[in-house]
Amino acid sequence: MNQKIETQRNQKTPVGAVLVVGGGVGGIQASLDLANSGFKVYLVEEESAIGGKMAQLDKTFPTNDCSMCIISPKLVEVARHLNIEILSYAEVVKLEGEPGNFSVQVKQKPRFIDLDKCTGCGDCAKVCPVEVPNAFDAHLINRKAAYKHYPQAIPNAFAIEKLGVSPCKASCPAGIHVQGYVALIKQKKFKEALALIRKNNPLPAICGRVCTHPCETACSRKKVDDPLAIMYLKRFASDWEYTQAEPEVPIIEKKREEKVAIVGAGPAGLSAAYYLSLEGYPVTIFEASSEPGGMMVWGIPEYRLPREILKKDIDFIKRLGVEIKTNTPIGPHLSLDDLFKQGFKAAFLGVGAQKSMKLGVEGEDLKGVIHGIDYLKVINAGKELHLGDRVAVIGGGNVAIDVVRTALRKGAKEVFILYRRTREEMPALPEEIKESEEEGVKINYLVAPQKILGKEGKVTGLECLRMKLGDPDESGRRRPIPIAGSEFTLDVDSVVPAIGQSIDLSFLPQEREWNVAKKGTLVVDPVTCATNVAEIFAGGDMVTGPATVVEAIDAGREAAISIVRYLQGIDLYEGRGKKLPIAEVTPEGVKKHPRHHPGQVPAAERIKNFQEVQKGFSEEEALNEASRCLNCGICSECLQCVEACLAKAVNHSMTEKYLNLTVGSVAVAPGFELTDPSLRKEYGYGHYPNVITSLEFERILSASGPFQGHICRPSDHAEPKRIAWIQCVGSRDPSINKGYCSSVCCMYATKEAIIAREHDSEVRPTIFYMDIRAHGKGFDQYYERARDDYGVRFIRCQISKIIERPKSKNLLIAYVDEGGKIVEEEFDLVVLSLGMSASEKSRNLAQTLGIKLTPYSFCQTSSLSPMETSRPGVYVCGAFQSPKDIPETVSQASGAAAFASEIISPARGELVTIKELPPEQNIAGEEPRIGVFICHCGINISGVVDVPSVKEYAKTLPHIVYVDENLYTCSQDTQAKIREVIRENQLNRVVVASCSPRTHEPLFQETIREAGLNKYLFEMANIRDQCSWVHMDKKKEATEKAKNLVRMAIAKASLTEPLHEQELKINKRALVVGGGAAGMTAALGLADQGFEVVLVEKEKQLGGNLRDLYYTIHGNNVQEFMHSLIEKAHNHSLIQVILNGVIVDAGGFKGNFKTGIMSGTGMAYRKIEHGVTIIATGGEEYKPKEYLYGHDERIMTQHELEGKIAHQAVNPKDLQEIVMIQCVGSRIPERPYCSRICCSTAIKNALKIKEINPTAHIYIIYRDIRTYGFLEDYYTKARKAGVIFIRYDLENKPEVSLEKEGLRVSVYDPSLQETIVINPNLLILSAGIIPRDNKELATLMKLQRTQENFFLEAHMKLRPVDFATEGMFLCGLAHSPKSLDESLSQAKAAVSRACTILAHDTIMVGGIVAQVEEEKCAACLTCVRVCPYNVPFINEQGVAQIDVAKCQGCGSCAAECPGKAIQLQHFKDEQIISKASALFKENVA
Amino acid sequence: MKVSFFPGCSLEGTAREYGESIDAVSCFLGIKLEELPGWTCCGASAAHCINEFLSVSLPAKNLLLAEKLNHDLVTPCAACFNRLKNAEKTLIKESQQTDAATPFRGEINVLHLLEFFSREDLIETIKEQVKRPLSNLKVVSYYGCLLVRPPHVTDAKNWEDPQALDNLISLMGGETIFWPYKTECCGGSLLLTNIDIVRRLIGRILDMAREAEADCIVTACPLCQANLDTRQEEIGKAKGVTYNLPIFYFTELLGLAFGLKGTQKWFRRHLVDPRPLLKTKKLI
Repeated sequence: MNQKIETQRNQKTPVGAVLVVGGGVGGIQASLDLANSGFKVYLVEEESAIGGKMAQLDKTFPTNDCSMCIISPKLVEVARHLNIEILSYAEVVKLEGEPGNFSVQVKQKPRFIDLDKCTGCGDCAKVCPVEVPNAFDAHLINRKAAYKHYPQAIPNAFAIEKLGVSPCKASCPAGIHVQGYVALIKQKKFKEALALIRKNNPLPAICGRVCTHPCETACSRKKVDDPLAIMYLKRFASDWEYTQAEPEVPIIEKKREEKVAIVGAGPAGLSAAYYLSLEGYPVTIFEASSEPGGMMVWGIPEYRLPREILKKDIDFIKRLGVEIKTNTPIGPHLSLDDLFKQGFKAAFLGVGAQKSMKLGVEGEDLKGVIHGIDYLKVINAGKELHLGDRVAVIGGGNVAIDVVRTALRKGAKEVFILYRRTREEMPALPEEIKESEEEGVKINYLVAPQKILGKEGKVTGLECLRMKLGDPDESGRRRPIPIAGSEFTLDVDSVVPAIGQSIDLSFLPQEREWNVAKKGTLVVDPVTCATNVAEIFAGGDMVTGPATVVEAIDAGREAAISIVRYLQGIDLYEGRGKKLPIAEVTPEGVKKHPRHHPGQVPAAERIKNFQEVQKGFSEEEALNEASRCLNCGICSECLQCVEACLAKAVNHSMTEKYLNLTVGSVAVAPGFELTDPSLRKEYGYGHYPNVITSLEFERILSASGPFQGHICRPSDHAEPKRIAWIQCVGSRDPSINKGYCSSVCCMYATKEAIIAREHDSEVRPTIFYMDIRAHGKGFDQYYERARDDYGVRFIRCQISKIIERPKSKNLLIAYVDEGGKIVEEEFDLVVLSLGMSASEKSRNLAQTLGIKLTPYSFCQTSSLSPMETSRPGVYVCGAFQSPKDIPETVSQASGAAAFASEIISPARGELVTIKELPPEQNIAGEEPRIGVFICHCGINISGVVDVPSVKEYAKTLPHIVYVDENLYTCSQDTQAKIREVIRENQLNRVVVASCSPRTHEPLFQETIREAGLNKYLFEMANIRDQCSWVHMDKKKEATEKAKNLVRMAIAKASLTEPLHEQELKINKRALVVGGGAAGMTAALGLADQGFEVVLVEKEKQLGGNLRDLYYTIHGNNVQEFMHSLIEKAHNHSLIQVILNGVIVDAGGFKGNFKTGIMSGTGMAYRKIEHGVTIIATGGEEYKPKEYLYGHDERIMTQHELEGKIAHQAVNPKDLQEIVMIQCVGSRIPERPYCSRICCSTAIKNALKIKEINPTAHIYIIYRDIRTYGFLEDYYTKARKAGVIFIRYDLENKPEVSLEKEGLRVSVYDPSLQETIVINPNLLILSAGIIPRDNKELATLMKLQRTQENFFLEAHMKLRPVDFATEGMFLCGLAHSPKSLDESLSQAKAAVSRACTILAHDTIMVGGIVAQVEEEKCAACLTCVRVCPYNVPFINEQGVAQIDVAKCQGCGSCAAECPGKAIQLQHFKDEQIISKASALFKENVA
Repeated sequence: MKVSFFPGCSLEGTAREYGESIDAVSCFLGIKLEELPGWTCCGASAAHCINEFLSVSLPAKNLLLAEKLNHDLVTPCAACFNRLKNAEKTLIKESQQTDAATPFRGEINVLHLLEFFSREDLIETIKEQVKRPLSNLKVVSYYGCLLVRPPHVTDAKNWEDPQALDNLISLMGGETIFWPYKTECCGGSLLLTNIDIVRRLIGRILDMAREAEADCIVTACPLCQANLDTRQEEIGKAKGVTYNLPIFYFTELLGLAFGLKGTQKWFRRHLVDPRPLLKTKKLI
């Protein structure tokens, strides 16, 4: 409230929007409450979908509801809410400003799928070749890189996960999608793999042989064993193509006019030609020599690159229409300018580096000296040139190796290489060097030629000098330094210098000025390949100097892009030259699987001829090799999804986005992460396959999980029978800074044990625990049911280690049994009950938001207001505040929403969107005119069901006016079309045959409503989930079934009627019953939101239980707090306090309640009209009948002790021995519930006494210590302070007697197995909490109660503060025992829930509700009894009456009514029967 | 690379083959293990149970000797290692608490031989020198307790699942089998006082090794080796099983993998003769 005042003082209108961070159940609830209370909500979620951990759970305790079933309606509500904007894949990066007006920056990761276009059909995932562990399924199985978080995910759309560019792609000069084609090969999609390679490289067969494959050098797999044999995989794909019939060339979509000339048919020219042709340009290559291929034909020997391979790649390019004019040099006879005169519009130059570099030593002109490239050209042209017996080749590059191996094949007897550095510096590929050595080539390192010796003009020898290595030069290699005096001479017949090539630019027209570099290369723009002449581009060796084939190919392709842009007048630079981040992976746990080596022709054989040395992979080898890929980038960018997505939603060029938002307040709910099980290595998680985490077990149990709910264990997929749970893994463990209790593990383990038993009655569950913490509503009964009815064995023993039997993979656990003996037992499966930890992401978020954390890294909050963070205007809820279960999270979420909306309540309604709808058409008396829309759902339906035949069939059915089929019926354009069709054809009913009404019915209803039809005139047939998906292999039958389903839907549609909802005004006043902590907080909360409140208290003053409390365990002064609340309540202008008030009658419904109250000494009656009711009638301490309570003044309850200490009636200094007995009146057959707070109250008072008198001996006799959450720290503190805890069992309760010498307490300690006797000064009874007398109120207001007479909420998990009756809410002890801070949170939650009604002026009621035909009603009361919401009643006329405002439309009464007097609208008997009879009707077509 | 070597007493007696194989392997790798001149008993077995002062001062004497030479101190025995480390930690802690200058400055490291052989540079050398890979030899590694626990004394990083032996075996081309008994106690300290417990503990280790289908067990401690090697027959007899599991020192396997001569001489000293196994695996 202080914040609100401050905001007003600043004279600023707050912003009516809230940022909610975290899309788990907490964030979802906060968003819904806020949006329903008139505020705009931005919901930021880091995953691709909301749902959080709850969506991953199987069942929920203690009701065993399916977690997904109960959260999924909430998900859909969020998705469809006009005022909630989901920002998925997003994180908050900045928060500035002040309460009421914050500016927020949100970073959104690219999803690579357009949310507006994606229909969630999943075709992208079907074709995606990359599998990664599915985090949603706790990594038990894999999912694709294109994925939906889970089937019910909201947004209902896929996403593509990318980690970055894979190192192979990043290192490829041509930027080939390497990971992509490897992934496609793995999937046997060889054709697609090759097509992907050709997107960047039109010479795959060549590059599959002679590439320098920097991709393999970069491959991350080398961190595990060896890099992938990527080059051979490429070769495999292209070789495979040539085993097929004529390879398909890509289709050229648009032919263009402008001719392009290319000079040089080397790799650069061919590449440019290919990509220009693809764009439709006519291309002519002018090649000076007799063959196309450039250095690939003249420089590379055939044993490395067979000529037919070269020809195949070039032919492929030619088949696109490229013309290659050989023997046509560009130069004096035909100049570049001549080409432009002939009508060419642009040119690409790729003439290569043809001139050999000279050694520059004496004797280089002797006969017998031939330069490397010149020699290769001669031989490759098929001519003969004998070099003699002894050949010295000078140089260390690939050309030197090619020369020496060629010479060997041409009959030279002794060949050797002279290289001036060492092997390490040699630029030739290591495998080439190795192969040459196998063939008998000698390499002399650290030798340089000095002089070529000759006789009669012919080479006779070579004078050389030895070298040593000096410091590195500019190339990074160590510089060779001559060793003086080391000259020696070699006898040789010929010398072949192979030390490089240079560029000949003499063909360029001299009249222009060309930009030439010092080393003689042509200078071009590094990004665009543009020369200084606008229409001329260049690339390859003539630009780079001698380089690789793949670099030339890339230059050709980049130049082609530039030429296209040049010809089309597009900016050459836009979007080019950017480097994307590389996905660096550190492979862990990858099994070694060394690289496959395709064979080679043995050296002795291969030197005899020029046959290809290297063999290729077989298909099996290729598949194996491809499966070694680590998928570094996750998405491989194979682009299959682009092809598969018919909705065109895939966009691989998406980038990160930054969004700037303005909001008034912030609610954070980032949740938790499970504690890392590897912190406790003694349990062997990760090593022992059958030791799993509790989340893994949830997924195993889940019907939608990896094993469809079939319980099996990971090692052998056998059904485990002996299952053990180990509790407190990562909880209550200060050694790893997890000193707190995670609050939920006892219950979820119990639940998992029960569900496992339900799945398989032979399962024998055992839970090893320290204390069973079943402190929630209904939890203890659940625990007892598990133990007594399901045979779950609970063993109180903390387990120190697990041992695996090596062969069976069963697990041995040693524990101490009840008799104190160490027992070792074998289990089939062990589940680690992992605790909750604050995630690293939440820690980062806290830093971004500027909120403080606790030492455990959870969110720091004030002890009496757990939703307020250290930063005003920022509120927290859920497990980030402290470990808690779902209902507490939901309740806190509503509470946080109340705080977040309170400070911006003046701006309520300002930023919300309200949909304007056209008036509804009156169709009364019209014959049905039905339109049917049948969906293909991409290929989801049409791939199985023959949609056109269903369409034709539908046309034959009665009342059908219009039938159409759509690719995606849910897409936005189809929606527009449906609206148009309705108007054009005056349709009055619409049927959609597509997917599930669960996700899509509201969308289509909205569509027809926008076209002026009542939304109930819509009907749906589910021909996807219930037809095409489940009958994939039976296309014919599926088509028949689809027809049946459509016929049924049409039959019902023809009988549907418009239903009209009634608008009712809402009374904006609230009634709060109960003036304790919860009631006052609720009243103040509502009043601060601007609503009038009537607060009724039956006592003569406000305060409730607070009157008897003095301090909290955290040290707060309760009395001070209470007085301030009372003062505020009495002084608030919007609160009317009624003391001594009793409710005497009640009526009405949500928005319009009428309650009669008698109050004051005279018991004056008055009627209050109000829109909502909050019940906060509280509870009280049980007055014990046990342990001689009331017989001796030294025996008292904790409340009494607290009062006496506060009023100094008891002085702890006088006490030597104090005994406290826990669970007095709780957890006993008469009162089976746990009172939740007694353990911490006892510890609170024990610590208080210890604080005053440290030498006092305090014994707490307990059954389980239930200090959940951070209360555990106080338990630890108490033990450290010397408080002694003695356990007892219900069977052996402590005995109290009054002896002469004083009190005597004896108790049997099961761990010591001895009876302990204590004579205390005081005996304190930790008496439980019982509800206040509320029977009359419950009857008057028709409120449900539990067996223990606490009020019962609408749903234990997701509606913890709502009553089943709408408009009524509950909080505080009236709901169940809880601590003060929890009561206050819940009161705030009730405020928030109440605001979702009070924020509106009117409500709509009716629609799908039950209606009574009065004349048929026999007033048998059946409906009154079956209605779960207590709606029907027998009215004054003696017939059942159902208020439309209260009816939930569940249909229970209609189904049960024996006289068929009740009909549920929209599901009337005749409508249902028409559907059924349509099913059995003859198929008329 | 020069280090001081603290052989401990076992190398002179029950673990002679350990000592010899250490000499042979380190000589082959060109490592100089210089025996700490004037070394004395580390105080294991007895001193630490009876006299705390003695338990620290006995090893401390050796630490001071080593520090004088300014070389790291390497010991092949897990018990010696544990005592030396304990003394090191105690001395350092004392000097921190008292501010008084203690004679030990803590400038040298105390290493177990296994740790020493796992140094990155040595790993590389070992990798290069493997001439006769231990193909098909299925090995479970056994670290025992004192090599790794308690971690605040031993500085072991992965005390629940140590890896050094497994890594060396992989380097040598052997097949390591994961088993959960790597750090279980063999009962070494009860060898003379409570033989029943020792039998139970060893029996269990041997059973598990058999269940894991290991051909042999590799150790890095003379006490563990002796304990596991000597009692197989009597335990087997009582249970009616034949174990016949050779228990190697890791240095013996290194010698084998390097193709050193004279390995058979070591193996002859084992009670469970490893030679038949090595023959069937064609390793000798």
